[in-house]
Amino acid sequence: MKVISVPALHTWLDALAREKVLIAPKEEAGVLLYRRVGKAAEITFPGKDALRPVTPIKEAFFPSTERLLLIERLPAEETGGPRRIRMSESLPDEEQVIFGVRPCDASGLRVLDAAFLDQSPPDPYYKRRRERSTLIGLACPEMGPTCFCKSVGGGPDDANDVDLMLYEVEGGYAARPVSKKGTLLLEGVELIETKGDPPRSALMDPVPIPDMLAWPPHFQDTFWGQMAERCLSCRLCAYVCPTCRCFDVRDEALPGEDGRELYERVRCWDSCAGEPYRRIAGGHNPRAEKGQRLRNRFFCKFHYYPQQYGPAACTGCGRCIDVCPVNIDITEVLSHLVEG
Amino acid sequence: MTASPGPSAAGLAAFEPKILGFLCTWCSYTGADLAGTARLHYPSNLRAVRVPCSGRVAPELILRAFDQGADGVLVLGCHIGECHYDNGNHRTAKRVPVLKALLSFAGLEPERLRLDWVSASEGERFARLVGEFTEALRLLGPCTWRASAPPLPASLTWVGIPPGADPAPGGAV
Amino acid sequence: MSHTASIRAKARELLESGDVTCVIGYEVGPRGWTRPAFIENPEEVGRLVWNQACTHNLTTYLPGRLRPGKNKEPAKPVAVVVKACDSRAIQVLLAENQFTRDQVFVIGVVCPGILSGAERQAIPEDGPQDGAPLQARCRRCPERVPVVSDTLIGELVAPPTAIAEEDELSRLSGLNPEQRLAYWLEQFDRCLRCYACRQACPMCNCPTCLFERDDSLWLGMGTGLNEKRAFHLGRAYHLAGRCVGCDECERVCPMNIPISHLNRMLAKEVEAAFGYRAGLAPVPGPLVTVIDRGEGRP
Repeated sequence: MKVISVPALHTWLDALAREKVLIAPKEEAGVLLYRRVGKAAEITFPGKDALRPVTPIKEAFFPSTERLLLIERLPAEETGGPRRIRMSESLPDEEQVIFGVRPCDASGLRVLDAAFLDQSPPDPYYKRRRERSTLIGLACPEMGPTCFCKSVGGGPDDANDVDLMLYEVEGGYAARPVSKKGTLLLEGVELIETKGDPPRSALMDPVPIPDMLAWPPHFQDTFWGQMAERCLSCRLCAYVCPTCRCFDVRDEALPGEDGRELYERVRCWDSCAGEPYRRIAGGHNPRAEKGQRLRNRFFCKFHYYPQQYGPAACTGCGRCIDVCPVNIDITEVLSHLVEG
Repeated sequence: MTASPGPSAAGLAAFEPKILGFLCTWCSYTGADLAGTARLHYPSNLRAVRVPCSGRVAPELILRAFDQGADGVLVLGCHIGECHYDNGNHRTAKRVPVLKALLSFAGLEPERLRLDWVSASEGERFARLVGEFTEALRLLGPCTWRASAPPLPASLTWVGIPPGADPAPGGAV
Repeated sequence: MSHTASIRAKARELLESGDVTCVIGYEVGPRGWTRPAFIENPEEVGRLVWNQACTHNLTTYLPGRLRPGKNKEPAKPVAVVVKACDSRAIQVLLAENQFTRDQVFVIGVVCPGILSGAERQAIPEDGPQDGAPLQARCRRCPERVPVVSDTLIGELVAPPTAIAEEDELSRLSGLNPEQRLAYWLEQFDRCLRCYACRQACPMCNCPTCLFERDDSLWLGMGTGLNEKRAFHLGRAYHLAGRCVGCDECERVCPMNIPISHLNRMLAKEVEAAFGYRAGLAPVPGPLVTVIDRGEGRP
C-alpha cells in the first residue's frame, strides 16, 4: 500500500488550502465540526472520541441557508414605464476539497444526488458544488456505539463514494485513489511504498433492517404515537442527518443599499419533525400530531424515498441517536418493524 | 466576526449617528410636534416612528433596529401616571431596562438605548433630549453591533430579460 | 423503599384509581439511556425509574398534554415526576393559565443532583456515583426539595450550604463591550437554528414562535449571524422572570452554546430589580404586571 506520512500530509493539505477551499474536521468549543481551515495545523485529526463531526458534510453542498435569487425592484424612472423587478442569480464557483470525510457522510451525498442531481432539472447549486468538490475520505478503524453503517449497505471503510480514501496506519495514512479526481489530487504527493493492504475496520453487531415493502402494513401501529410522546419536535435529527434534505423557501427583504430596493429568495433547512412543516394555507395541518410526524420521518427514509429515488435515505451514521434530547432511537424503530 | 476598530478623531467629527425613535402618540409625539411648531432646533438624526403607546414598543423592534444598523434607539413615553392607556408605560418602564441589561451583556453599549418620558407640553425637553442623545452617540461612534453580511456579488447576471431592455443575454449590472 | 419503588407504587395507585390518565416519568431505554416515559397502563409502571440521569424537565410536556379538547372540554389530569427546578416551572405555567392545579398530580422528588452527560450512558439505578461530575445547574442549585408537590419522594433535606459560584457570568460581565460582542458572535456562529433549546423549554410554548412566523417576518428564517443572535436574545428576553434555570436548553444544544448564561444573567437582573424569582409561587412575573405599591421599578 502507499502511505503518506503525517508531515507529508500536512504539507499537502497546506498546499491544498492555498489553492482551493479546504474543509476539514475542526473542534470548536468541544464540538467537532466540518469547517473551512486555512492550514493543516487547524485540523483536529481523529482520536478515540472524535469519530465523526456532529454535523454532516452535506452543509458544504446544501448549506443551511442559501440565496437562490437576488431580486431588485426598479423604480418607474429607471424603466421608463411601470415598476419592474430584476432577478439575478450567482452560482457558487469555489473549488472545494473536503478532508476527513467519513464513509457515512460520503454515502449520504450519493443519497442526496438521487434527489438533487438525477432528477430533471437538476438543482444547479448542488450540482455546481458537487462538480467542484473533491472528497478525501477517512476510514473509521472501528464503529462507534451508535453506528450501524454496515447494516444499511455501507461500512466504516467503504470507499465507494469518495475520490480518495485514507486509512490510519502506523506513522501516517494509507492512501487509495478511487476516482480520477482522487488520482489527480495525489499527484506530486510524497508516498512511501509499504507491504500489505490497508487495514479493515472492526465491526459492530448488525442492526436488522426491514425491507422497503415491509413498512406500509405498519402505518396504523400505535407504536408511532407512543414513541413520539417524548419527541420534542425540534429538528436536530434532520439537521444532523447526512441524507435529510427538506427545505423552506422564502422571499425576504434585504437592508437597502444606496437606496436600492433589494430582496432575496432564500432556502433554509427545514424538517418534517417540526410542527409547522406540513401546515398548509387555510391553517390545516395533516401532521399535527407528533406520532404522525415521526411516522412520516421514518417512512420517508425507508419507504417513500427508496420508492421514488432508489437508495434508502439512511447511512447508518447514528448522529440522530447521539443528538436526540430524549433518546428517540432509529434502531428501535427498525427493530419494531422487523420483529412486528 | 470581530468588531471593527474605533473611529478616528476625524471620523468622529464626520459621523452622523442614525437614531430610531419610538414616540408615543399621546405624549412624546405631541411633544415633538410642539418642538416643531415652536421652531425649536434639534438634530435631524432622529427618525421618528409613532406608536400608540410606549408599551407597544416590543423588544424585538429594538433588536431589529440595531440589527439593521441603528446607532441608537430612543424610546419616549408619557410620564408614569400620565399614560393615555393607564399603565402601558408601566410595562415599558420595567421592560426596557431589562432589555438594556441583556443587550449590554451581549456586547452593545447600554448608552445606545435610552428610555425617557416626555409629556405633550414638553417641546423644549424633547429637543434637549434628542440633542443630548445625538451628541452622546456621536462620541460613542458608529455602532458595531450588526454582524457584517456577505457582500453582494460584484457582478450580477440577469435571469430573463425585462421587456424593453437590451436583448443581449448575460448583461452585467 | 427506593425512589424508583416509591414512584412505581404511586403511579400504580394513581392509574388504577383513575385519578390520572397518564404518569409522565423516566424510563431506561434498550440502549440503557434514561429518557422520558408516558405510562398510561397500571401494568406498565415497572418501566418507571429514578436515577441520577433524570435530567429532562418533564413539565415541558404539560402544556401540550393538557390542552383543551376539540370541543373545549378540559383535558384529563396527568401525573408528572419533578425535581426542584422542574417544580418551579409548574408554578410559572400555572400563573400563566396553561392548565389548572387540579389537572396535575405532582410527584416531587428530593433530588441529589443530576450527573453530567449521564442520560447518554448506561448508569446504575439509584445511588450516587462516586466522583462523577454533577451538572453545573445542580452545583448551583439553592434547593433540593420541590416547591410544590402532591406527594414527596425522598426525605426533606436542608438547602445546600455551599453553592457553586457563577464564575463564567462574572468573567463575561468583566469584559468590555467589544469583547463580549465578539464572544457571543463566536458562540452563535455554531448555531443551526434547530430550535432544540426552545422545544425543550417548558416556558416556550407559544403555538407559533414569534421568530418563526412567516407573516410578520420579525426575523429572517436563515442562519445568518444577526438572525441567530436575535433569536437567542429574543428568546432570553421572553424568558426574563419566567426561566427557572433548569438549563435543559443548554443540555440539548449539540453545539455547546452557553445559552443558559443569557437566561441566568437575566434572572439575576430581574431578582435584583424586582426581588422576584420565577416559580416560587404561582404568580405572574414582574414584566407582565403593572407597577404596584411595593413593587418597584429598576
